[in-house]
Amino acid sequence: MPIRRLTIPGRLDAIETACDCVEAGARDAGFDDSTNYACQLAVAEACENIIKHGYSGEGGGDIRLEVTSSPGDLTVRLEDSAPRFNPARRPSAHAWDQHDPPVGGLGLHIIHRVMDHVSYVRRSGSNRLTMRKRLARIAG
Amino acid sequence: MEIQTQEYKRIAVVTVTGRVDSSTSADLEATLQALIDKGKKNLVLDMAGVEFLSSSGLRVLVNAFKACKGAGELCIAQPSERAASSLSIAGVDTLFSIHPTREAAVASF
Repeated sequence: MPIRRLTIPGRLDAIETACDCVEAGARDAGFDDSTNYACQLAVAEACENIIKHGYSGEGGGDIRLEVTSSPGDLTVRLEDSAPRFNPARRPSAHAWDQHDPPVGGLGLHIIHRVMDHVSYVRRSGSNRLTMRKRLARIAG
Repeated sequence: MEIQTQEYKRIAVVTVTGRVDSSTSADLEATLQALIDKGKKNLVLDMAGVEFLSSSGLRVLVNAFKACKGAGELCIAQPSERAASSLSIAGVDTLFSIHPTREAAVASF
């Protein structure tokens, strides 16, 4: 069960490095390109929220990633030292208006559309977000 | 991210390549806004070369779409698989006219 660990600075241009780590982990998990990309996207959204809202801007602190892979299963844990903040709180249900679509909350929407399991805890002064993607098992 | 713009009499074609994310989307926003400000509201966004499209980029697209609406339209041409995936996951794919080729997008105006 490969585990990859990485710490990135709280800068928006560092999120790509986190995506590269997730890409490698998703590849180890045997995900296809589409699922792999979706996982990268979800993690990027969470990292952006940590930087912009948790740390209230760039340079506020680091983000520690742990990416765990097993066949068909990817878990990404993000930890930061910002004040209490859940970077993936479930978005409130918005009525979708095609003529005036909401632009706020798209990142949260993406995280919860992609990931099968999202959980947050505050522990020892750190925010800890866990996101998990599991491929559906084929019966038989 | 790289942006190339070609302006014609009635439309402008904006070709975006690379990553459109929180660190680069402001440049795309500025490009689209400059076109809109000078009255170019028929826009084709060629996304064949987009390697990554995050919610920051999607917000730019949606805001530009809204700004063009009424007087014109922002449509998308030949989105890469990743760009199309982002649009679909975010649930904004039905908002835009999406054309399989640049030529089809231009011809739609």
